[in-house]
Amino acid sequence: MAREKIYLEEVFPSPFMQLWGIFRKTPVAMVGFCCFIFLILLAIFAPIIAPYSPVDGNLEMILLPPAWHPDGDVSYLLGTDELGRDMLSRLMYGTSLTFGLSFIVVIFSLVIGVVIGSLSALTRGIKSSFLNHFLDVVLSIPSLLLAIIIVAILGPGISNTVWAIAIVFIPQFIHITRYAVKEEFRKDYVLASRLDGASNFRILYYSVFPNIVERLMSQATLAQSAAILDIATLGFLGLGAQIPLPEWGAILANGLERFYIAPWTVYLPGLAILFAVVATNLVGEGIRHALKLRKEN
Amino acid sequence: MLTFTLRRISLFIFTMLVLTLLSFSLSFLFPGDTVINHSGQINATASELVQLNKAYQMDKSIVDQYGAYLTHILNGDFGQSMASQSPIRNEIIELLPATIELSLVALLIAMVVGIPLGFIAAINHNKASDNVILSLAMLGYSIPVFWLGLLAILVFSIGLGWLPSAGQISLLFEIEFVTGIQFIDILLSDSPYKWQAFSNASAHIILPACVIALAPATIFIRLSRAAMIEVLAASYIRAARAKGLSFQQIIFRHAIRNALIKIIRHVGLQFANLVTIAMVTEVIFSWPGIGRWLIESIYQRDYTAIQSGLLVLSCFIFIIHILTDFIYAALNPLARGNQHGS
Repeated sequence: MAREKIYLEEVFPSPFMQLWGIFRKTPVAMVGFCCFIFLILLAIFAPIIAPYSPVDGNLEMILLPPAWHPDGDVSYLLGTDELGRDMLSRLMYGTSLTFGLSFIVVIFSLVIGVVIGSLSALTRGIKSSFLNHFLDVVLSIPSLLLAIIIVAILGPGISNTVWAIAIVFIPQFIHITRYAVKEEFRKDYVLASRLDGASNFRILYYSVFPNIVERLMSQATLAQSAAILDIATLGFLGLGAQIPLPEWGAILANGLERFYIAPWTVYLPGLAILFAVVATNLVGEGIRHALKLRKEN
Repeated sequence: MLTFTLRRISLFIFTMLVLTLLSFSLSFLFPGDTVINHSGQINATASELVQLNKAYQMDKSIVDQYGAYLTHILNGDFGQSMASQSPIRNEIIELLPATIELSLVALLIAMVVGIPLGFIAAINHNKASDNVILSLAMLGYSIPVFWLGLLAILVFSIGLGWLPSAGQISLLFEIEFVTGIQFIDILLSDSPYKWQAFSNASAHIILPACVIALAPATIFIRLSRAAMIEVLAASYIRAARAKGLSFQQIIFRHAIRNALIKIIRHVGLQFANLVTIAMVTEVIFSWPGIGRWLIESIYQRDYTAIQSGLLVLSCFIFIIHILTDFIYAALNPLARGNQHGS
């Protein structure tokens, strides 16, 4: 009698896919993720879908309240500001400035930080120790303060703000990459591929990076929520985006004088910032939660 | 403890050197003439310029220039403000205490509110109250501070009319400047309206301090929750439970003390964050502190003021950092050992 033996092939999903599997099952994180995707789409397509221009005003429609107010007009869904500019269009364009720029800034700092961080993880001795101490000092300075210092040197303006924030976030990524790579290099699977004759860069690329990518992503979401707040704060203080630009913090600062008669020009951009930061933080929390669960299993 | 102190002092001196070097190099980075950026004398005549160049040793090597700059700083001469042409030293002495007062009150509020909430969350780990506290903490962490400040003014000052929205104290009260910290000055003064002035000053500080405290409080919630969960999982807690101590006894006698030590360690780092938030809040609440002055100097391109303001502010943050390190080491013998780096 023939005994049938069926061996099912066991499939091990990559660490990243395991993480995604856990992440998908957390409803709150998925809501945050959807909002995050929505903001990215909005940032890209704002010029196409925005109903009006963000800088040209309609002087017959000054300080119109939002549509749900008895005096509101439905063609200006979120009302207008003191020059008759449509708030909805301004907020949409603002997404690509505040949210979109913070996203680009974080990606830029992430790439540079990862390159420097992984190179420095491979060095030892006095160079490495100097870098460590230097990073400790830089990391203990709050990001906003450092950005203010750099803007003070470069002068106000949105491009200078972006550079300042990019410079501020690079040390964070260097630190976390360096730490993560060093930790992975002590593990046995790295030793195994080293015994196979792999060079350091090959190990980095094929073995280490797939295992640390989610930690970098978690740090990137933290950095992005800080970047959104920093860009908006600098815009609010008048050090970032200058006057006609529809950056959320700058719109808010612009509405400040008419704060009591037209409160929507202040609370709408604030809500937009809050929404973007909460969405980013939810994604970050989701990743950290999934990382913790994966470690426990 | 002696080696610990020496180590901290050497770190302090090293960091001060780095900070002064940074502020010295700012004079070269800013637009304009270096010696004018150092001294702030924009209207100097030719003969005064010669004198200034001599005082800052501009004709010698860069090391000598740095030495001359350091001597000026150590003598308390930060130069003149380019905007107002008054010595920066006097302005800082007037403004810094207001910032110290505001940030310390905010730190106190953040700790008093945040740490117990974090403990409650940790004790009810994975229950409804834990989730509620964590969600609130995330919301608080995400609110932009300037927006929160404006909403607070709209609700509590304009809407309800409970609290004043700007300044440090009502202009009706004349308080003599002694230390600069308003509450101490009021108590030292012999005005017959001392207590009215005191309650007026407290009403003025509540709103800005609470606005500043929100974000650090949420961080304290997270820190204390993590510390408490870690402590409750430790084996000495299980030993205490095996001895038959009640849950309350375990929490109050063992867990809180050990968790607090872990939190104190992070206070210094959080303080730097808090001071930055305070700078923005000072602008909104017209608080006469150094943060508002610094941001106004950026608008006016008052480079001498920016440079000295940053130096003083970062020194202040660093001194608090060192102080919390000392408190931590005094409370926790384990921290005094030989730790390399740090």
